[in-house]
This record gives sequence, structure tokens and C-alpha cells, in this order.
Amino acid sequence: MLIEYYPINTQLHKLDVRTKLFGFLAITIIAFIFLSPVINFFLVLISLLMLIWAKAPIKRLNLVIKPLIPIFIIMLVITGFTYSPSAFESEFNRNILFYLLPDMGAPFTVGGFQLGLTLVMRILTMVLASSVITFTTQIEDILQLFKKMKMPYQLAFVITTGIRFIPTMQKKAEMIQEAQITRGAEIGTGGMIKRIKSFIPILIPMIVNSLRMSDNLAVAMLNRGFGAMKTSTDLEEIKMTTKDYVISIIIMIILVSAIWARNKNVGVL
Amino acid sequence: MNNRPELERGSVFGDVEKFRYADSTADTLTNIKINIKKGEIIGVMGRTGSGKTSLLMLLNGLIPHFFEGEFKGNVISNTMNTQRYRVQTLSRFIGMVLQDAETQIFSLTVDKDVAFGPSNLAFDRDKIRNAVTFSLEAVGLKGYESRMTTGLSGGEKQRVAIAGVLAMEPEILVLDEPTSELDPKGKLEIYELLNKLRQKRDVTIIISGHDSEEMLHYVDRLMVMENGKIVWEGKPEKLFTDITLTKNLGICPPEITEIGKLLSNGDKETLYLTVSECVADLTKKLKLSSTPIDNKATNYNSNSPIIIETNNLCYSYDKKSSVLKNINIKIHKGEFVALIGKNGAGKTTFSKHLNGLLRPTNGKIFINGRDAFNINTAELSKTVGYVFQNPDHQIFAASVKEEIEYGLKAYGFDEEEREKRVKNVLRFVGMENYEERHPFSLGKGERQKLAVSSILAMTPQILVIDEPTTGQDWEGALKMMSLLKELHAKGHTIITITHNMRLAADYADRVIVFADGQVVLDDAPANIFKQTDILNKYFITPPQSVLVAQNLKPFGIMDNLLTVNELVENIKSKLN
Repeated sequence: MLIEYYPINTQLHKLDVRTKLFGFLAITIIAFIFLSPVINFFLVLISLLMLIWAKAPIKRLNLVIKPLIPIFIIMLVITGFTYSPSAFESEFNRNILFYLLPDMGAPFTVGGFQLGLTLVMRILTMVLASSVITFTTQIEDILQLFKKMKMPYQLAFVITTGIRFIPTMQKKAEMIQEAQITRGAEIGTGGMIKRIKSFIPILIPMIVNSLRMSDNLAVAMLNRGFGAMKTSTDLEEIKMTTKDYVISIIIMIILVSAIWARNKNVGVL
Repeated sequence: MNNRPELERGSVFGDVEKFRYADSTADTLTNIKINIKKGEIIGVMGRTGSGKTSLLMLLNGLIPHFFEGEFKGNVISNTMNTQRYRVQTLSRFIGMVLQDAETQIFSLTVDKDVAFGPSNLAFDRDKIRNAVTFSLEAVGLKGYESRMTTGLSGGEKQRVAIAGVLAMEPEILVLDEPTSELDPKGKLEIYELLNKLRQKRDVTIIISGHDSEEMLHYVDRLMVMENGKIVWEGKPEKLFTDITLTKNLGICPPEITEIGKLLSNGDKETLYLTVSECVADLTKKLKLSSTPIDNKATNYNSNSPIIIETNNLCYSYDKKSSVLKNINIKIHKGEFVALIGKNGAGKTTFSKHLNGLLRPTNGKIFINGRDAFNINTAELSKTVGYVFQNPDHQIFAASVKEEIEYGLKAYGFDEEEREKRVKNVLRFVGMENYEERHPFSLGKGERQKLAVSSILAMTPQILVIDEPTTGQDWEGALKMMSLLKELHAKGHTIITITHNMRLAADYADRVIVFADGQVVLDDAPANIFKQTDILNKYFITPPQSVLVAQNLKPFGIMDNLLTVNELVENIKSKLN
């Protein structure tokens, strides 16, 4: 997961899981209906502010975002070249910055570049906004919501348990790497191919380990009575408070006005 | 079953003719007869692979429901025939704690995890809260409620796993080697807890493990397994006074019963069950010595050159807490050093500095006189071989040969030399002709040996071995230790981390005690283990023979004796 849950008591932690998911949904919709990078930039900013407000360890996001940077660059380049000037409504976006090929071949448009920026912002918004949810919401609350909505809660349990084991698997991978370094392997150094190759030997013990673990997990679930009864007790009932309703209404208003604005052609390229 | 057994809650009756796993060619269990009464504490012992875990899995229906196979017989746990109920349903009454704590923890925080079982059983909220509080208190984790489960130590995880099952209020509690990762103090606490549960709640307890001393003291009845059969059943003191039988069954007899047995002459059997019993009896027989001698063991060899030296070595993961504080150690060439101390004392963290897996945050470490700070691990590993605790985290090749060759290839040895070294090292550890075997088809002891072999092949001067005997049965542990002894005799410097005080006393020629990230004692084992008061403070219990010798010092018994045989010889010479 991006940033896993940590129990502290900020306002965002106290909000009901439904309010937070609704907020996430709203921000996703807004991000996808507007093509303008300016609006999407604001969404990134809002998500980031919420993370700071929730006292999340923002530095940890580097781990997710750093590997994405090459992808971002590729996206910017590709969108710049693939959209011809006629694809855009405004004059400004139809401007061509430069041509890659002689004789006006492969034009790089302002609009395409802006669109690329928007795509990058959308990804950033998703990463940040979903981190807000994962950092401030307990898995148990999400499971309870699944149960309340009569969704396959067992499936949700399997997924969340999988998530819980990511750090365990990371630790195992580290241990295996240490063992290989101890035997003269130089992991994480050298060229790209050499690096990738040095990770292959980790896969075998990881697969063997996870197969064993999954068997043990299944046994442990049975031992803990998973599925013994038709229902199960939730330690704390998830509850919508007045604050939740107020915030949900505000989100609703923002969402409706965003859709209205979009229909008035705001934020198109 | 011919005559219908009297069915009582909390009891177990079993008559299993055979069980064979679906993918196996041999029977895992044969002719198993179980008759356990409510409130009994039963110990299950035997070699690794003798079928202990399978026996336990009969009790809550994991066999034959989850592990399918050929099953003939009946098991009636808590008046329920396990074949007729699902494991989940049985789990309400028969709680089971598995060996691997890690895979038994489902939630991010401790209280949520402990509540997982009772919520599945749909207990009401107040009952769950009470059960969580009770269970955490019972396992000694009061105040851990909102701690993150990922940040817990191995011992703490083990306790959370036990609490999670306790919270379901089982009438029968089954534990599969729950103490294998714990230090001696943690071990004792688990047995104390079980004893309390029996007294307070009349819980029936079935526990497997290799802890002879604790079993002798805490269990009512022992079942010993061999090749899938229960080959011996009875009171623990009866088994442990028959030293030959105990050893033949692959079990380490407690030192105290061995002392009693060795002191018996002919027809008159002496039976000691505790150190104080033994001391009281011998006090009557021995004459007070006019001059109790303070025997100081000869110090470890400090004449040979220094091979490892640390200078105020400090290590911390973050700014707030330091894991190692000002470690100053000089290790000489050819020493056999045991690092001991409770879980989390800093032993492993220290040893990882020896080959650069960790770098000191302050202070210095010198290997062969060179400052190790700027030498990378691959380079340091030529001098310092490091064997990790769990062989499964260091084995990654598809065959034994490839496994051993991995390091040799990395260091650029040619094929001829590699062949030669693989052959040599396999012969040395007693695994000839294993070249083409798949590592994961080997037993635990063999995998551990393979892990050592793959390091040995590179002929490092210094060998660091983290808990070489954890999770092994007694015979496996002895084999591993004699392997280390041979390597030591060949001139290697050996540094090993161990929780097994008996092995430390018997094999090492120097013991370093870690506590809270510091070195608190550093001396020859005989000099270390006689400081019982100090050791007690750091939760270390010396071997029983050492304790006996300590107490008999006024009678002229030497207090620098480490092994059972040395002690018995000394006592006998005074008795005559």
C-alpha cells in the first residue's frame, strides 16, 4: 500500500470511511472531467494538503513517485507528439512548439503538452488521495463497509490480508538479499541489466516462501474461526456523525458545481 | 471404538488407525490412541519429522479436513467427532497455536488482532473487549493494545498468537512448538502461563516442543512420537530417569535427572527433578569442606593475534533509540565465542557489523587490523562468513551444488576449483552425493548444514553463525555443534549466537553476554555461568549442572565445572 494506516487522532482519522470514500470518488470524477492542467494541479495540491493535515509521513511517497518519473516524462513526450493541432478547441493550444522531423513532420503541440501534464497530475492526485484514505482508515472499517453493503466480504478480507503481508514479504526479500550479498553478490550496483539479473535469484525463495505462507495462513484463519458463523462482530460500529453529513454535503455541492462548470466548457483544452 | 468412551467436555479421545497425506507414499500417522482428560497438560515430544504436528492437527480436525489424505479412525474432541464438524466450528472449543507466529497475525494493531477470533465467533462486543483484555494480560502483553503488530519482536508475536487463540475461550488448547523462537526466560513464561490457565480455567493443554526441563516440571503426561507412532507415554519423570531410552528417542534429558542417574549406584536409584532437590540430597551426603576453593577457569587464549576489534561501536536505527552502545570487544584468532542474551539484546545487530551488513553509526570496527568501514560486504565476506538464522532465507538455488557454487562463482573461482570445493565441503559436513538434490527436499537439519556449507566453501577465516540450533531437535543441535567444533579445530574463528546455555557452556571457550545493547559480561564460560545473580538480572539461566556445582561449593565441589560428566566425577570423588 502507499502509506499504511497509523493510529493517530486527526480530524481525517475520525471521519467515517464512507465520507472519505465519497470524497475520493468526487476528486476522481473532477480530475477526469477536466482536461486543464491548472485545475488538476489544484487537485494535487488539495490532496497533498490533506496528507499533511493527516500528519502522514510524506517522505515515504518518494518510494512510489520516484519510479514513476520516467513514465511521466514518456507521457509528456508522447501526448505532445500524438495530438495534432486540430484536436484542441483554443487557439493557444493549437500552437506548435517545434517539429521533430524536417518539413513540419511530427509537430509538438502546446495542447498535447498540457494534456500530458494533466495526465501526470491525475496520477499524482490518485496516488496522494488514495494515500489519504489508506493512512487514515483502518482496514476493519473498510471490511465492515463491505459487509454492510452485502459485498463479498471474504474476498475483501483476502485482499486486505494480502496487503498486510506486503511488509513481511519485503522483509523476507531483504533477508534473502543480505544472504546473497554475504556470498559476494553485488546487488543494486552495475548497469540496468546486471541489476535486474541480480534480483532473479530472489524470486525463487520468495515464491517458495509465499506458497508456504499461504498454506499456513489458511490454516491460521480456520484456527481463528474465520467463517464459523454467518455473521461476525465488529469491534466498533462505523457511524456517520453530523460532521460527516456536513462534509458529505459540501463535497456534493463541489462535485455538482464542477460538473455544471464542465458543461459550460470550463477547463477544456 | 468398541466401548464408547465417556464423553466429557475438554476431553479428547482418539483412535486413528492411519493417516497418509494425499501426496505422500508413506503413512504419516499409524495406530494413534489418544485419551486425554479435562484439565490435563500433555507434552508431545520426539524428533523433527516424527509426526508431532500431524498428531496435533488431528485434534481440531485440520486433519482430515484441511490436509486431506487417507484417514481411518475417529477423533472426539470436546465431545465432538472432528469428522462431523468444520474446523471453524471446532475452533470455538479447540484452540490451536501454530509454530510460525508471523502467519497467525492478521491485523495491524495488537488489540484488533486478538479480537479477530472472537469476532469471527460473533461474541458480543463487551465480551470481546473483556476477552482481549484478559488474554493480553495473561500472555504478559498488557499495555500493548494499540501497538502495531509489524513492529513486534519474534517473542512478542508469539505471545500475540497465543492471546489471539485464548480470546476465543477454548476448552482445549493445542500449541505446536510455541517456544522455539523464545529465549529461556520467554520459554519459562509460556509454561507458567499454561499452568495458570489450567488452574484458573481448567483448560486442557496439549503442547509440543523440545524443552525437556520445562516439560519435566510442567506437564502431567508425555507422549513421545517416532515415525508416526506414539512409542512412549507416561509421566515425564519416568522417561527422563531412563537416560538411555530418552536419548534413543532423540530427546535431550534434563541435566538434573542425568546427574541423579549417574550418581545412582547399582540398586539404589537417585531421582532428582529440581536443582534444589538435588542440592538438598547431596548436602546430606557430602561433608563440609574446610577450605572451599574459589576456582577460576583459565582464561581463553589471548595470546594469538587480534582478528576483530571494535572501538566504542554504536548503532542506532534512528536518532531516538540506540541498539548498540559503546561495544568494545577484541576477538583473537582461533577463539570459539558464544554471544548470549535475551531476545532483542543486540546480538544479531552486533554480529551483522562483522561483515558490513550494518555499519556503525559511531565508533569503529577493525577486521584483521583494517578499518572495515570502507570495505564492502562482498569483500569482507571473504574473511568473515556469515550464516543466517533461518536457512530458508539464504537458500535460493535449484540444487545443492548450485547453492554452494553461488558464492564461488561470485568470487571468480574456475570450474575445476569449484567442483573440488563443493565435493570437499559436502564430504566435510557429511552430505556426500547430495549435489543434485533440491535444497527444499532436504530436512531442516540438512538445510542448515547446506547453509553452513555454502559459506564454508569460500573458506572464510571467521565464521559467524546466528542461532545454528534453533528449530532443530536435540540430535540435530548436537550434530551442528560438533560440526562447529571440528571447524574450530581446523583453525577457524567461530562466533555463534545461541539461546541454548548448555551448548554455550559445553562448546564455547568464551562467552559474551549482551543486555540492552551493551556487553555486560565477557569471560570464559565457567567464569560467566557462576555469576548466577548477575545472569539472573539479564534473564539468563545457567545450565542446571552449573547451578548444582554453585550450591555445593561449601562442600569442596569445584565451581568451574560445565558439563554433567565433569560435575558427577567431582561429586563422586568427594563422596568416597
